[in-house]
Amino acid sequence: MTALTNLLAFLGLVVTLLIVWRQGWPGRLALFVAQSLLLALLAVVIGILAGKPGLLVVAAVVVLLKAWLIPRALARMGAGTPVLRPLAPGRSSAVPLLVSGGLVVVAYAVMLPVNAATTLPTEGGIPLAFAMALIGLFVCVTGRDALGHLLGFLMFENGIFGLALLATYGLPGLVEAGVFLDVLAIVLLMEGVVLRVRREHDSIDVDRLRELRG
Amino acid sequence: MSLLLLLAAPLAGAAVLTRAVGGVARAVNALTAAVTLAAAAAVVAAVARQGSVTALDGLLRADALSAWMAGLVGLIAALAALEAPRQVPPDEGRRFYPLLHLFTFTMLLAVTTDDVGLMWVAVEGTTLASVFLVNFERSRSSLEASYKYLLICSVGVAIAFAGTVLVYFADVQQFGDQAYALRWTTLLRLAPGLPAPVIQLAFVFLLVGYGTKAGLAPMHTWLPDAHSEAPAPVSALMSGVLLSVGLYAVLRFKAVVDLAAGPDFAGRLLVALGLASLGVAAAFLWAPRNYKRMLAYSSVEHVGVVCLGLGFGGPLGVAGAVLHIGNHALAKSVLFLLSGRIRAAYGTAEIPAVSGLLRAMPVTGRGFLVAMLALMGLPPFGLFVSEVMIFAAGFQAGYAPAAALGLALLVVAFSGLLRAAHRMLYGPVTGQVSENPHWASALPLGVALLMLVVTGLAWPPGLAGALGQIVSLLAP
Repeated sequence: MTALTNLLAFLGLVVTLLIVWRQGWPGRLALFVAQSLLLALLAVVIGILAGKPGLLVVAAVVVLLKAWLIPRALARMGAGTPVLRPLAPGRSSAVPLLVSGGLVVVAYAVMLPVNAATTLPTEGGIPLAFAMALIGLFVCVTGRDALGHLLGFLMFENGIFGLALLATYGLPGLVEAGVFLDVLAIVLLMEGVVLRVRREHDSIDVDRLRELRG
Repeated sequence: MSLLLLLAAPLAGAAVLTRAVGGVARAVNALTAAVTLAAAAAVVAAVARQGSVTALDGLLRADALSAWMAGLVGLIAALAALEAPRQVPPDEGRRFYPLLHLFTFTMLLAVTTDDVGLMWVAVEGTTLASVFLVNFERSRSSLEASYKYLLICSVGVAIAFAGTVLVYFADVQQFGDQAYALRWTTLLRLAPGLPAPVIQLAFVFLLVGYGTKAGLAPMHTWLPDAHSEAPAPVSALMSGVLLSVGLYAVLRFKAVVDLAAGPDFAGRLLVALGLASLGVAAAFLWAPRNYKRMLAYSSVEHVGVVCLGLGFGGPLGVAGAVLHIGNHALAKSVLFLLSGRIRAAYGTAEIPAVSGLLRAMPVTGRGFLVAMLALMGLPPFGLFVSEVMIFAAGFQAGYAPAAALGLALLVVAFSGLLRAAHRMLYGPVTGQVSENPHWASALPLGVALLMLVVTGLAWPPGLAGALGQIVSLLAP
């Protein structure tokens, strides 16, 4: 079990780094779907090995929600954005990748007390999942447009979900359901806002939203 | 029973209001607010009698702190709902009233559930329910405000979720998988045995997460935009009680971390964030240009004051902080509601464009003056008393430098608010502004101001008892 969950968490982190590396939009979206599928697989593995059948349902919901419904909404929002952005100087992926590498180290440091408090077979993956969350947060705050922000937020959410799987074998059903509904609602609301921004500004570049100051 | 009614009333009202129009909508809106307020009062009374009430197998539970918060939410929601018809065009009601009551519902659920996870869902729900209220006027700036609000608060609350996961982890590691592991009552009982480093780590996440919702600096950046762009009744609810719902979550978790790791850890963090919030607010309030943004930054200031009270701790600090939550809710919601009337009359929220308010709008102007004096913390209003309690607690608890710095920042904010209020209230009347001096329209707001005098001058018999109960819950 340890080897399998560690492998899945590691692959999740690799996909996360690939998202940081990729600049074009459909590529990032496909990688996000891959990340979500890996998490669903992680839920299945933990569900079977730890004898928690509820996690199989959770995995199915993850596939439905994060590998299908939400990516579709993101694709609708992204329709019309350039497939490959022209790379401006100073906007290569090297610096974000370097920062992400640093965040992995930070994640190990922050999760030290958690790893010290447990002897779970899945504990090796805990810092990896938290690193996914931190990198997601980083993508979110450095995002150049609404899609970047939202993608970062969803990656962050995925990382925390992975953390919950690895550290506690999932959360009580009521909370889990609330979280899923919440993520879906945020994406749909964001879609509404973004479409309105596009109608008014001809762009989803939130850099153009600069009226409120002080 | 009263607890179920408290949640069912706004939910049912919201459902009916999605279909109602015109006069029917206004009537249902008022009725829903009245029933919600009555149910909140019933919960307060029941808790005063029995100590706590539960429903749905303990999923819902109100103790003295929940009752305090539910009472405030019910009260401010009623004020907001009564003011709403003045601010909402009749044909736009269906875009407004349902969300207003849904917003109230999510706040009430957050403070009356015993389940930490459900509370998280409810706090996130407050953002989702109110984001389109912020964008109600559909201007470019309100669109920007709602985007920032949705994004920053969602990320913040997701960080709080990480903290919740860690609390659950600590709980399950120590005491095994149990059905009620994520209940406040369970957590408080087990807290002394929880691993301190994990709970401390979790508290940092929870403080950043729920602190975002509470408008603590440096996570406050969404707040001035959302508060100033939202219609006045929504600003009143956001500033008056939504911020306090965020604080409520911090309060509850502070009790857990205090038991697990000693009181100093959370206390120091809260004092630091409280001072940061006061500093940010004072810097802006030195020379505000827009009165809605001024009121919003003043909320950052008062959230900072509440945090200082919690951080200083002790019975005096905690009681002062909880009382300050109530006082600020009353004063600030009155001010936001009046600012809506001022904006409707003058057509702008810029301070230099408003002058002669006292002569042009005698009722609104006088109300604004009284509420501003209350907000600045002058006697005989309640904010004076709660601020004295908080800073006295600071000097007692050995936080003298922090308390002194906090007081200095309060003075800076005070002088800025005073100058802005003076500028708006006196001077020549600009343009053709006038008001039908109809005192009945100001009656609910007058009652709210009167309550502030009561908390400032003569505490009713139940108040000290309620505060004592809350203190024994949070600082045992």
